[in-house]
Amino acid sequence: MSKFLVVLRREYAQLVKKKSFLIMTLLTPVIMGGFMLVPAYLSRKGADHVETYAVIDRDGHGIGFRLAEAFKQYTLSDSSGPAYKLSALKELPSDHGTEYQPFYDSLVQSIRERRLGYLLVINADAHMADSNLLLVTNSDNIRTLNRFEYRLGQVLTMRRLEASHVNMPVDSVMRLTRGIDLPRQDTKGEVVSTEAKLITGMLLMLLIYFMVLINGQALMQSVIDEKSDRIVEVLVSSVTPFQLMAGKIIGTGLAALTQVGIWVLGAGMIASYATATGTPLDSSITRTLFNPATVVCFVSFLILGYLLFSTFFALLGSLVNSPKEATPLLLPTILILFAPGMLISLAVMEFPDAGWIRVMSFIPTYTPLLMMMRVTVVAPTIEGNPLMSPIMGDAVIGMLGIIVALLVVVWITSRVFRIGILMYGKRPTLPEILRWVRHN
Amino acid sequence: MYLMLDNITKRFDGKVAVQDLSLSVPRGVIYGMIGPNGAGKTTTIRMIMNITAPDAGRILIDGREVDGSFRDHVGYLPEERGLYKKMTLREVMKYLADLKGYPARKSSQAISFWLERMGLKEYELRKVEELSKGMAQKLQFITTILHEPDLIILDELFSGLDPLNIELVKDALMDLKREGKTILFSTHVMEQAEKLCDHICMISLGRKVLDGKIGEVKAKFGRNSVQIAFEGDGQFLRALPGVSEMTEFNNYAEIRLAPDALPNAILKAAAERLSVYRFEVMQPSLYDIFIDTAKVSPVESQREEGGRHV
Repeated sequence: MSKFLVVLRREYAQLVKKKSFLIMTLLTPVIMGGFMLVPAYLSRKGADHVETYAVIDRDGHGIGFRLAEAFKQYTLSDSSGPAYKLSALKELPSDHGTEYQPFYDSLVQSIRERRLGYLLVINADAHMADSNLLLVTNSDNIRTLNRFEYRLGQVLTMRRLEASHVNMPVDSVMRLTRGIDLPRQDTKGEVVSTEAKLITGMLLMLLIYFMVLINGQALMQSVIDEKSDRIVEVLVSSVTPFQLMAGKIIGTGLAALTQVGIWVLGAGMIASYATATGTPLDSSITRTLFNPATVVCFVSFLILGYLLFSTFFALLGSLVNSPKEATPLLLPTILILFAPGMLISLAVMEFPDAGWIRVMSFIPTYTPLLMMMRVTVVAPTIEGNPLMSPIMGDAVIGMLGIIVALLVVVWITSRVFRIGILMYGKRPTLPEILRWVRHN
Repeated sequence: MYLMLDNITKRFDGKVAVQDLSLSVPRGVIYGMIGPNGAGKTTTIRMIMNITAPDAGRILIDGREVDGSFRDHVGYLPEERGLYKKMTLREVMKYLADLKGYPARKSSQAISFWLERMGLKEYELRKVEELSKGMAQKLQFITTILHEPDLIILDELFSGLDPLNIELVKDALMDLKREGKTILFSTHVMEQAEKLCDHICMISLGRKVLDGKIGEVKAKFGRNSVQIAFEGDGQFLRALPGVSEMTEFNNYAEIRLAPDALPNAILKAAAERLSVYRFEVMQPSLYDIFIDTAKVSPVESQREEGGRHV
């Protein structure tokens, strides 16, 4: 058996045998699912306690009353009762100058003492300008704030129509003034929701991001361990530093792929179980996720991104004596070379055709994340074979870019690694490292 | 000659680590490479192992220039050494044997044999981190020789071993020598080399200052010292003609003689005034030889370098 394979086999076995491998394999999908599902669940979940509000209506056209009526239909999440309690509704026409201020002050004091949640003041001619309205509150409950805006909007629309002498029942007004839900389809006659693309793209990017970082750092740790445990010199008397480095990188990478493989298998089983039991899967997400272009790119960018960064991490590991020493080198690397790929990709939804995003996605260290997002967003609308589409052309150029960058990093690393792993004590300076690269 | 170093020179950042070093190691001997820390021993060994390349000169093993292909036939115990802490003894030994390309069917047996011989049998399935330092050293020694290498290179082999384990390892080394293995033994502890080696070579400041069979080296330096055990005040011995240096110990003294002095004259003078109960003409120890040689050589080498600049 080739020595490279001996190293690879040990590296793989040591990782896969660890308890933490099993734990991470099981826990990661739970955590990732949690990240996506919990906020969605929480936002869908109703209120669980009653909020109180008061209204001072100085307009005199029943706006406060109509708002209170509308608020009655909101119930608590367990449907045990109304979600809002009206603690006071006072109509105080504007000419009652003396009564207003003390009342207003006492309600504000109630809010200050947390006995009241919201105070809505409707001044005269509320329908003419929003500045004639005022909501006093210390709350940041977005849902309630939105309800005030939404319901007030409806009531004021009514009021404006009345003021224009259009008298109609509320239902009719709402029917006539409702917004539209624009039906949409792509040229294939289908539509994949934008949210589905975004969620899928984020999911795939996060997977690549974390798999590259976690396994790249595990590799670096393993290089540092061999160095600090003084095993390296024993090893390089049996294998070449390059065989050692390659065996470690590929071995760690295969362990990572095993993990991803288990997840894919698990997801596939859940999906087929769901299909078998007739549970409908979100077709938008499945169509995005299982697009051939997306799948090919995910696998390629995961592997290439890992190889590029892990080789670099192996280089860092060979230069330092402890993980602590590596941090000041590692952090800027991640923040400058890797993470921006993810930040920029958030702009893909807003400026899908922007030239600068396309250019950025060809920068090899950004390609794995950014190109992944671009492909995920575009792929579902491709007619014909997604693998022959222009976006795949971009993706392939991106892959070639990573491969070129990889060759450069491997070339540098193979020159530095063999010296670095045998250096103990002082960390080499940059000029020293450059000299190793030049003379070899 | 099995191992030949031919005018090897190695510099690091302009500093000379090894200068024009030539060695000839015959097959089947224990060859001692001795010298103080920083003399260039480890650098020389790393060049033999092809871990670093010499700036000038050639290294031949069995007549062929080293290129890495011979790696599997060499066992190397580096001075900076360690093993995977989280692996079991058997796993570590198997892995390192695999790395040498040693066939699996043989390694399993060899592992059992050596564990038994080195008294580590009961730890076979324990993790390396559970071993004491001495046990870990023995394990490291086993991993060095397990794959039946023809050339065994041991850098500071005995550091961290207690006397009992030193005997155990020494016996194993002697057996390996009998089997015809060539052993290169590097140390800064002269006494060890003296007891163990057939040939020695002394290195100081990156240069060879002396080499040859251990007997020849000693003979060359002559029987120029006596050890004398006595009762009484021996201070007058210092002043005797022919005594160049005297070191007094608790109940005996070591006397270095001038080159032409006769031991008999010393004995006669001592017997007149002291009650001598032991008198021995001694070969100089390697330590003495080294001290003598190293005292001279740096000056010489400076002179040579100075000459070259002219």
